[in-house]
Amino acid sequence: MNVLISGGGRTGARLANLLLNQNYKVRLIENRRELLGYLHQELPTEVIYEGNPVDPSVLEAAGVREVHALAAVTSNDSTNLAICYLGKTLFDVPRTIARVNNPNNAWLFNENFLVDVALNSADVFAHLIQEEMSLGDMMTIFKIRRGNYSVIEEKVPAGAKAIGIQLKDMDLAEHCVIAAIIRDGVMTLPRGDSTLKAEDEIIAVASAEGAQKLSDLLAYPVYPMRNGKKKE
Amino acid sequence: MNFIVVGCGRVGAELCYHLFKRGHQVVAVDINKEAFNRLHPDFRGRTLEGEGLAEGVLERAGIHEADGLAAVTNSDTLNAVVAHAARIIYNVPNVVARNYDPNLRPVIEAFGLQTVGSTYWGAQRVEELLMSPSQRMVYSAGNGEVEVYEVQIPEAWDGHTLGELLEPLKQCYPVALSRAGHSLLPESTMRLQARDMLDVSSTFEGIGTLTARLSQKAEA
Repeated sequence: MNVLISGGGRTGARLANLLLNQNYKVRLIENRRELLGYLHQELPTEVIYEGNPVDPSVLEAAGVREVHALAAVTSNDSTNLAICYLGKTLFDVPRTIARVNNPNNAWLFNENFLVDVALNSADVFAHLIQEEMSLGDMMTIFKIRRGNYSVIEEKVPAGAKAIGIQLKDMDLAEHCVIAAIIRDGVMTLPRGDSTLKAEDEIIAVASAEGAQKLSDLLAYPVYPMRNGKKKE
Repeated sequence: MNFIVVGCGRVGAELCYHLFKRGHQVVAVDINKEAFNRLHPDFRGRTLEGEGLAEGVLERAGIHEADGLAAVTNSDTLNAVVAHAARIIYNVPNVVARNYDPNLRPVIEAFGLQTVGSTYWGAQRVEELLMSPSQRMVYSAGNGEVEVYEVQIPEAWDGHTLGELLEPLKQCYPVALSRAGHSLLPESTMRLQARDMLDVSSTFEGIGTLTARLSQKAEA
Protein backbone atom coordinates (compact mmCIF):
# COMPACT_ATOMS: atom_id res chain seq x y z
CA MET A 1 0.00 0.00 0.00
CA ASN A 2 1.25 3.50 -0.88
CA VAL A 3 0.64 6.37 1.50
CA LEU A 4 1.39 10.07 1.15
CA ILE A 5 1.69 12.05 4.36
CA SER A 6 1.29 15.80 4.04
CA GLY A 7 2.92 17.61 6.91
CA GLY A 8 5.82 16.30 8.90
CA GLY A 9 5.49 17.38 12.49
CA ARG A 10 5.76 14.75 15.22
CA THR A 11 2.49 13.18 14.11
CA GLY A 12 3.61 12.89 10.49
CA ALA A 13 7.02 11.50 11.39
CA ARG A 14 5.57 8.99 13.86
CA LEU A 15 3.00 7.83 11.31
CA ALA A 16 5.65 7.47 8.61
CA ASN A 17 7.82 5.33 10.89
CA LEU A 18 4.89 3.16 11.91
CA LEU A 19 3.91 2.53 8.29
CA LEU A 20 7.48 1.93 7.14
CA ASN A 21 7.83 -0.77 9.81
CA GLN A 22 4.80 -2.48 8.29
CA ASN A 23 6.37 -2.34 4.81
CA TYR A 24 4.09 0.37 3.43
CA LYS A 25 5.47 2.61 0.72
CA VAL A 26 5.56 6.05 2.32
CA ARG A 27 6.29 9.61 1.21
CA LEU A 28 6.17 12.58 3.55
CA ILE A 29 5.98 16.23 2.41
CA GLU A 30 7.31 19.07 4.53
CA ASN A 31 8.79 22.50 3.82
CA ARG A 32 9.49 23.99 7.23
CA ARG A 33 13.27 24.32 7.55
CA GLU A 34 13.23 23.85 11.30
CA LEU A 35 11.46 20.49 10.95
CA LEU A 36 13.44 19.06 8.06
CA GLY A 37 16.53 18.58 10.24
CA TYR A 38 14.50 16.58 12.73
CA LEU A 39 12.82 14.56 9.98
CA HIS A 40 16.14 13.59 8.41
CA GLN A 41 17.19 12.16 11.78
CA GLU A 42 13.97 10.17 12.12
CA LEU A 43 13.33 8.92 8.59
CA PRO A 44 15.21 7.58 5.54
CA THR A 45 16.07 10.38 3.10
CA GLU A 46 14.08 8.93 0.19
CA VAL A 47 10.87 9.18 2.23
CA ILE A 48 11.12 12.96 2.67
CA TYR A 49 9.94 15.30 -0.07
CA GLU A 50 10.65 19.01 0.43
CA GLY A 51 7.86 21.35 -0.62
CA ASN A 52 4.68 23.10 0.45
CA PRO A 53 2.31 20.25 1.41
CA VAL A 54 -0.76 22.00 -0.07
CA ASP A 55 0.77 23.01 -3.42
CA PRO A 56 -0.82 20.79 -6.12
CA SER A 57 2.40 20.64 -8.13
CA VAL A 58 4.28 19.45 -5.03
CA LEU A 59 1.63 16.81 -4.27
CA GLU A 60 1.89 15.57 -7.83
CA ALA A 61 5.69 15.50 -7.84
CA ALA A 62 5.62 13.58 -4.54
CA GLY A 63 3.53 10.88 -6.24
CA VAL A 64 -0.03 11.59 -5.08
CA ARG A 65 -1.45 9.88 -8.18
CA GLU A 66 -0.05 6.50 -7.08
CA VAL A 67 -1.24 6.47 -3.48
CA HIS A 68 -4.02 4.50 -1.85
CA ALA A 69 -4.35 6.96 0.99
CA LEU A 70 -3.46 10.58 1.67
CA ALA A 71 -2.99 11.71 5.28
CA ALA A 72 -3.21 15.48 5.87
CA VAL A 73 -1.58 15.98 9.26
CA THR A 74 -0.19 19.54 9.26
CA SER A 75 -0.79 21.73 12.30
CA ASN A 76 -3.09 23.98 10.24
CA ASP A 77 -6.73 22.92 9.88
CA SER A 78 -7.53 24.87 6.72
CA THR A 79 -4.42 23.41 5.08
CA ASN A 80 -5.50 19.88 6.02
CA LEU A 81 -8.97 20.49 4.58
CA ALA A 82 -7.57 21.91 1.35
CA ILE A 83 -5.15 18.97 0.98
CA CYS A 84 -8.00 16.43 1.21
CA TYR A 85 -10.15 18.39 -1.23
CA LEU A 86 -7.32 18.73 -3.76
CA GLY A 87 -6.35 15.08 -3.36
CA LYS A 88 -9.82 13.90 -4.33
CA THR A 89 -10.75 16.49 -6.96
CA LEU A 90 -7.43 16.82 -8.79
CA PHE A 91 -5.80 13.44 -8.19
CA ASP A 92 -8.58 10.89 -7.48
CA VAL A 93 -7.03 9.73 -4.22
CA PRO A 94 -9.16 6.78 -2.97
CA ARG A 95 -9.00 7.66 0.74
CA THR A 96 -8.31 10.88 2.61
CA ILE A 97 -7.55 11.13 6.31
CA ALA A 98 -7.19 14.46 8.08
CA ARG A 99 -5.96 15.60 11.46
CA VAL A 100 -8.16 18.08 13.31
CA ASN A 101 -6.05 20.45 15.39
CA ASN A 102 -8.73 22.67 16.89
CA PRO A 103 -11.89 20.78 17.96
CA ASN A 104 -13.94 23.90 17.03
CA ASN A 105 -13.07 23.25 13.40
CA ALA A 106 -14.14 19.58 13.45
CA TRP A 107 -17.53 20.44 11.91
CA LEU A 108 -15.86 21.06 8.53
CA PHE A 109 -14.04 17.71 8.32
CA ASN A 110 -16.62 15.78 6.31
CA GLU A 111 -17.92 15.25 2.77
CA ASN A 112 -18.02 19.02 2.19
CA PHE A 113 -14.24 18.93 2.00
CA LEU A 114 -14.01 15.32 0.80
CA VAL A 115 -12.51 14.13 4.09
CA ASP A 116 -13.13 10.38 4.49
CA VAL A 117 -11.79 10.10 8.03
CA ALA A 118 -11.19 12.92 10.51
CA LEU A 119 -9.03 12.34 13.56
CA ASN A 120 -9.44 14.88 16.28
CA SER A 121 -6.55 14.32 18.67
CA ALA A 122 -7.96 16.48 21.46
CA ASP A 123 -11.25 14.62 21.20
CA VAL A 124 -9.69 11.14 21.04
CA PHE A 125 -7.54 11.97 24.04
CA ALA A 126 -10.44 13.41 26.04
CA HIS A 127 -12.53 10.30 25.36
CA LEU A 128 -9.71 8.01 26.44
CA ILE A 129 -9.35 9.93 29.69
CA GLN A 130 -13.08 9.89 30.27
CA GLU A 131 -13.16 6.15 29.57
CA GLU A 132 -10.35 5.57 32.03
CA MET A 133 -12.22 7.49 34.71
CA SER A 134 -15.68 6.11 34.15
CA LEU A 135 -14.61 2.52 33.71
CA GLY A 136 -12.44 2.46 36.81
CA ASP A 137 -10.23 -0.61 36.92
CA MET A 138 -11.60 -2.07 33.75
CA MET A 139 -8.83 -2.92 31.34
CA THR A 140 -9.39 -3.34 27.63
CA ILE A 141 -7.43 -6.38 26.46
CA PHE A 142 -8.19 -5.78 22.78
CA LYS A 143 -10.83 -4.23 20.56
CA ILE A 144 -12.80 -6.06 17.87
CA ARG A 145 -14.79 -4.73 14.91
CA ARG A 146 -13.17 -1.27 14.78
CA GLY A 147 -13.53 -0.78 18.49
CA ASN A 148 -17.29 -1.39 18.63
CA TYR A 149 -16.66 -4.46 20.80
CA SER A 150 -13.92 -5.08 23.32
CA VAL A 151 -12.55 -7.92 25.35
CA ILE A 152 -12.18 -6.51 28.85
CA GLU A 153 -10.85 -7.58 32.19
CA GLU A 154 -11.93 -6.20 35.54
CA LYS A 155 -11.51 -6.93 39.20
CA VAL A 156 -14.61 -7.03 41.39
CA PRO A 157 -14.17 -4.52 44.23
CA ALA A 158 -15.64 -5.02 47.70
CA GLY A 159 -19.08 -3.44 47.94
CA ALA A 160 -19.85 -3.60 44.19
CA LYS A 161 -23.50 -3.94 43.19
CA ALA A 162 -22.88 -7.13 41.21
CA ILE A 163 -21.78 -9.20 44.21
CA GLY A 164 -24.23 -11.95 45.01
CA ILE A 165 -26.41 -11.54 41.91
CA GLN A 166 -26.64 -14.50 39.53
CA LEU A 167 -25.23 -13.67 36.11
CA LYS A 168 -28.53 -14.42 34.38
CA ASP A 169 -30.20 -11.73 36.49
CA MET A 170 -27.68 -9.03 35.66
CA ASP A 171 -29.58 -7.84 32.55
CA LEU A 172 -26.46 -7.80 30.40
CA ALA A 173 -27.66 -10.28 27.75
CA GLU A 174 -27.58 -8.24 24.52
CA HIS A 175 -24.46 -6.26 25.14
CA CYS A 176 -22.09 -8.25 27.26
CA VAL A 177 -21.07 -11.84 27.90
CA ILE A 178 -18.96 -12.75 30.92
CA ALA A 179 -16.61 -15.34 29.47
CA ALA A 180 -14.48 -16.26 32.46
CA ILE A 181 -14.23 -15.79 36.22
CA ILE A 182 -10.81 -16.07 37.83
CA ARG A 183 -11.04 -16.78 41.56
CA ASP A 184 -7.92 -17.41 43.66
CA GLY A 185 -5.92 -17.92 40.47
CA VAL A 186 -8.27 -20.57 39.09
CA MET A 187 -10.30 -19.83 35.98
CA THR A 188 -13.86 -21.13 35.68
CA LEU A 189 -16.32 -20.82 32.81
CA PRO A 190 -19.39 -19.18 34.31
CA ARG A 191 -22.98 -20.38 34.02
CA GLY A 192 -26.18 -18.39 34.37
CA ASP A 193 -26.42 -19.22 38.07
CA SER A 194 -22.81 -18.26 38.87
CA THR A 195 -22.30 -15.34 41.23
CA LEU A 196 -19.38 -12.99 41.77
CA LYS A 197 -17.35 -12.41 44.94
CA ALA A 198 -15.15 -9.49 45.90
CA GLU A 199 -11.60 -9.86 44.51
CA ASP A 200 -12.76 -12.06 41.59
CA GLU A 201 -11.38 -11.10 38.19
CA ILE A 202 -13.65 -11.41 35.22
CA ILE A 203 -13.07 -11.44 31.47
CA ALA A 204 -15.97 -10.26 29.29
CA VAL A 205 -16.79 -9.53 25.66
CA ALA A 206 -18.84 -6.34 25.49
CA SER A 207 -20.11 -3.54 23.29
CA ALA A 208 -19.47 0.02 24.47
CA GLU A 209 -22.92 0.03 26.04
CA GLY A 210 -22.33 -3.35 27.65
CA ALA A 211 -18.98 -2.23 29.05
CA GLN A 212 -20.70 0.78 30.60
CA LYS A 213 -23.40 -1.43 32.21
CA LEU A 214 -20.82 -3.86 33.50
CA SER A 215 -18.73 -1.04 34.86
CA ASP A 216 -21.75 0.30 36.78
CA LEU A 217 -22.31 -3.13 38.31
CA LEU A 218 -18.65 -3.46 39.25
CA ALA A 219 -18.09 0.12 40.40
CA TYR A 220 -16.74 1.03 43.81
CA PRO A 221 -19.58 2.13 46.04
CA VAL A 222 -20.08 5.91 45.87
CA TYR A 223 -19.78 8.08 48.96
CA PRO A 224 -20.77 11.73 49.17
CA MET A 225 -17.77 13.95 48.37
CA ARG A 226 -16.69 16.35 51.08
CA ASN A 227 -14.33 19.25 51.00
CA GLY A 228 -11.36 19.33 53.33
CA LYS A 229 -9.94 16.57 55.46
CA LYS A 230 -11.54 13.20 55.84
CA LYS A 231 -13.36 13.00 59.17
CA GLU A 232 -11.75 10.73 61.72
CA MET B 1 -26.98 44.25 1.23
CA ASN B 2 -25.21 42.24 3.94
CA PHE B 3 -21.54 41.43 3.52
CA ILE B 4 -19.04 39.51 5.61
CA VAL B 5 -15.36 40.27 5.24
CA VAL B 6 -13.08 37.62 6.79
CA GLY B 7 -9.61 39.02 7.44
CA CYS B 8 -9.15 42.66 8.40
CA GLY B 9 -5.68 43.31 7.04
CA ARG B 10 -4.95 46.06 4.53
CA VAL B 11 -7.13 44.55 1.82
CA GLY B 12 -9.93 43.63 4.23
CA ALA B 13 -10.03 47.02 5.96
CA GLU B 14 -10.10 48.84 2.62
CA LEU B 15 -12.84 46.55 1.30
CA CYS B 16 -14.95 47.01 4.45
CA TYR B 17 -14.78 50.78 4.05
CA HIS B 18 -15.68 50.65 0.33
CA LEU B 19 -18.73 48.48 1.02
CA PHE B 20 -19.76 50.64 3.97
CA LYS B 21 -19.48 53.84 1.87
CA ARG B 22 -21.85 52.31 -0.67
CA GLY B 23 -24.42 51.89 2.07
CA HIS B 24 -24.10 48.16 2.81
CA GLN B 25 -24.17 46.33 6.13
CA VAL B 26 -20.65 45.04 6.77
CA VAL B 27 -19.27 42.63 9.37
CA ALA B 28 -15.47 42.52 9.62
CA VAL B 29 -14.10 39.27 11.10
CA ASP B 30 -10.56 38.81 12.33
CA ILE B 31 -8.86 36.52 14.83
CA ASN B 32 -6.84 39.43 16.16
CA LYS B 33 -8.79 42.40 17.49
CA GLU B 34 -5.83 44.75 16.93
CA ALA B 35 -6.56 44.29 13.20
CA PHE B 36 -9.71 46.42 13.53
CA ASN B 37 -7.47 49.45 14.19
CA ARG B 38 -6.82 49.42 10.44
CA LEU B 39 -10.47 50.24 9.70
CA HIS B 40 -11.19 53.79 8.55
CA PRO B 41 -12.26 56.03 11.47
CA ASP B 42 -15.59 56.69 9.70
CA PHE B 43 -16.38 52.98 9.29
CA ARG B 44 -19.68 52.12 10.99
CA GLY B 45 -19.96 48.40 10.56
CA ARG B 46 -19.75 45.50 12.98
CA THR B 47 -16.46 43.93 14.06
CA LEU B 48 -16.26 40.36 15.28
CA GLU B 49 -13.19 38.82 16.89
CA GLY B 50 -12.85 35.12 16.10
CA GLU B 51 -11.57 32.46 13.77
CA GLY B 52 -13.25 32.44 10.36
CA LEU B 53 -13.38 28.63 10.37
CA ALA B 54 -15.45 28.41 13.54
CA GLU B 55 -19.11 27.63 13.01
CA GLY B 56 -20.17 29.92 15.85
CA VAL B 57 -18.19 32.85 14.47
CA LEU B 58 -19.70 32.55 10.98
CA GLU B 59 -23.18 32.28 12.46
CA ARG B 60 -22.68 35.31 14.70
CA ALA B 61 -21.43 37.21 11.66
CA GLY B 62 -24.88 36.53 10.17
CA ILE B 63 -23.87 34.11 7.44
CA HIS B 64 -27.45 32.88 6.98
CA GLU B 65 -28.52 36.35 5.85
CA ALA B 66 -25.32 37.29 3.99
CA ASP B 67 -25.55 38.37 0.36
CA GLY B 68 -21.82 38.02 -0.09
CA LEU B 69 -18.65 36.91 1.70
CA ALA B 70 -15.07 37.88 0.97
CA ALA B 71 -12.25 35.79 2.45
CA VAL B 72 -9.23 38.09 2.29
CA THR B 73 -6.79 36.89 4.96
CA ASN B 74 -3.12 36.32 4.12
CA SER B 75 -3.62 32.53 4.21
CA ASP B 76 -4.67 31.04 0.87
CA THR B 77 -5.94 27.82 2.39
CA LEU B 78 -7.97 29.67 5.01
CA ASN B 79 -9.51 31.88 2.31
CA ALA B 80 -10.33 28.87 0.14
CA VAL B 81 -11.84 26.88 3.02
CA VAL B 82 -13.95 29.74 4.44
CA ALA B 83 -15.22 30.68 0.96
CA HIS B 84 -16.00 27.05 0.07
CA ALA B 85 -17.85 26.54 3.36
CA ALA B 86 -19.85 29.73 2.80
CA ARG B 87 -20.88 28.54 -0.64
CA ILE B 88 -21.48 24.83 -0.01
CA ILE B 89 -22.81 24.84 3.55
CA TYR B 90 -24.56 28.23 3.76
CA ASN B 91 -25.41 28.87 0.08
CA VAL B 92 -24.06 32.41 0.24
CA PRO B 93 -24.86 33.72 -3.26
CA ASN B 94 -21.62 35.57 -3.91
CA VAL B 95 -18.26 34.47 -2.55
CA VAL B 96 -14.77 35.73 -3.34
CA ALA B 97 -11.43 34.41 -2.06
CA ARG B 98 -8.25 36.44 -2.11
CA ASN B 99 -5.16 34.78 -3.55
CA TYR B 100 -2.17 35.85 -1.45
CA ASP B 101 0.72 33.68 -2.65
CA PRO B 102 0.64 33.38 -6.48
CA ASN B 103 2.13 29.86 -6.14
CA LEU B 104 -1.02 28.76 -4.32
CA ARG B 105 -3.49 30.16 -6.84
CA PRO B 106 -4.18 26.58 -8.11
CA VAL B 107 -5.48 25.70 -4.62
CA ILE B 108 -8.21 28.35 -4.83
CA GLU B 109 -8.93 27.45 -8.45
CA ALA B 110 -9.39 23.79 -7.53
CA PHE B 111 -12.32 24.85 -5.35
CA GLY B 112 -13.79 26.68 -8.36
CA LEU B 113 -13.88 29.96 -6.44
CA GLN B 114 -13.83 33.50 -7.77
CA THR B 115 -10.47 34.90 -6.82
CA VAL B 116 -8.47 38.09 -6.89
CA GLY B 117 -4.70 37.94 -6.52
CA SER B 118 -3.58 41.35 -5.38
CA THR B 119 0.11 40.43 -5.57
CA TYR B 120 -0.02 39.09 -9.11
CA TRP B 121 -2.45 41.76 -10.30
CA GLY B 122 -0.43 44.62 -8.82
CA ALA B 123 2.82 43.35 -10.29
CA GLN B 124 1.27 43.03 -13.73
CA ARG B 125 -0.22 46.53 -13.58
CA VAL B 126 3.15 48.04 -12.66
CA GLU B 127 4.85 46.05 -15.41
CA GLU B 128 2.40 47.40 -18.01
CA LEU B 129 2.92 50.99 -16.96
CA LEU B 130 6.69 50.54 -17.01
CA MET B 131 6.69 48.98 -20.45
CA SER B 132 4.22 51.20 -22.31
CA PRO B 133 3.02 54.37 -20.65
CA SER B 134 1.10 55.55 -23.78
CA GLN B 135 -1.75 53.03 -23.59
CA ARG B 136 -4.41 53.13 -20.93
CA MET B 137 -6.02 50.05 -19.42
CA VAL B 138 -9.76 50.63 -18.99
CA TYR B 139 -11.01 47.24 -17.86
CA SER B 140 -9.41 44.13 -16.47
CA ALA B 141 -11.13 40.75 -16.78
CA GLY B 142 -10.48 37.76 -14.55
CA ASN B 143 -7.07 38.09 -12.98
CA GLY B 144 -5.86 40.46 -15.70
CA GLU B 145 -5.20 37.84 -18.37
CA VAL B 146 -7.49 39.76 -20.75
CA GLU B 147 -7.87 43.52 -20.52
CA VAL B 148 -9.48 46.32 -22.50
CA TYR B 149 -7.03 49.04 -23.50
CA GLU B 150 -7.59 52.45 -25.04
CA VAL B 151 -5.06 53.64 -27.66
CA GLN B 152 -4.93 56.75 -29.79
CA ILE B 153 -4.58 56.45 -33.58
CA PRO B 154 -1.47 58.36 -34.72
CA GLU B 155 -1.13 60.45 -37.94
CA ALA B 156 0.72 57.61 -39.63
CA TRP B 157 -2.45 55.49 -39.72
CA ASP B 158 -4.84 58.26 -40.84
CA GLY B 159 -6.92 57.02 -43.80
CA HIS B 160 -6.10 53.32 -43.36
CA THR B 161 -8.80 50.81 -42.45
CA LEU B 162 -9.18 49.16 -39.06
CA GLY B 163 -8.72 45.78 -40.80
CA GLU B 164 -5.31 46.81 -42.13
CA LEU B 165 -4.21 47.70 -38.62
CA LEU B 166 -5.55 44.71 -36.67
CA GLU B 167 -5.79 41.76 -39.04
CA PRO B 168 -2.11 40.75 -38.84
CA LEU B 169 -2.27 40.80 -35.03
CA LYS B 170 -3.17 37.91 -32.79
CA GLN B 171 -4.75 38.20 -29.32
CA CYS B 172 -6.11 41.69 -30.02
CA TYR B 173 -9.75 42.42 -30.94
CA PRO B 174 -11.53 45.77 -31.50
CA VAL B 175 -14.26 46.68 -29.01
CA ALA B 176 -15.16 50.32 -29.79
CA LEU B 177 -13.98 53.24 -31.90
CA SER B 178 -14.59 56.75 -30.54
CA ARG B 179 -14.43 59.87 -32.65
CA ALA B 180 -15.35 63.38 -31.51
CA GLY B 181 -17.12 62.08 -28.43
CA HIS B 182 -19.19 59.40 -30.19
CA SER B 183 -18.44 55.72 -30.16
CA LEU B 184 -19.17 53.13 -32.84
CA LEU B 185 -19.07 49.36 -32.96
CA PRO B 186 -15.96 48.80 -35.03
CA GLU B 187 -15.90 47.01 -38.40
CA SER B 188 -12.76 46.10 -40.28
CA THR B 189 -13.71 48.30 -43.29
CA MET B 190 -13.89 51.50 -41.21
CA ARG B 191 -11.35 54.17 -42.15
CA LEU B 192 -9.32 55.45 -39.24
CA GLN B 193 -8.63 59.10 -38.55
CA ALA B 194 -5.76 60.51 -36.55
CA ARG B 195 -6.71 61.00 -32.88
CA ASP B 196 -9.51 58.42 -33.01
CA MET B 197 -9.60 56.49 -29.73
CA LEU B 198 -9.64 52.74 -30.29
CA ASP B 199 -10.62 50.30 -27.53
CA VAL B 200 -9.29 46.78 -27.94
CA SER B 201 -9.73 43.62 -25.93
CA SER B 202 -6.33 42.05 -25.66
CA THR B 203 -3.80 40.01 -23.76
CA PHE B 204 -0.65 41.66 -22.45
CA GLU B 205 1.28 40.26 -25.44
CA GLY B 206 -1.45 41.42 -27.86
CA ILE B 207 -1.36 45.04 -26.72
CA GLY B 208 2.43 44.99 -27.06
CA THR B 209 2.18 44.01 -30.73
CA LEU B 210 -0.50 46.67 -31.34
CA THR B 211 1.50 49.53 -29.82
CA ALA B 212 4.57 48.38 -31.77
CA ARG B 213 2.51 48.42 -34.99
CA LEU B 214 1.00 51.84 -34.27
CA SER B 215 4.43 53.37 -33.80
CA GLN B 216 5.59 52.05 -37.21
CA LYS B 217 4.60 53.80 -40.42
CA ALA B 218 1.66 52.12 -42.14
CA GLU B 219 2.47 50.36 -45.42
CA ALA B 220 1.49 52.62 -48.31
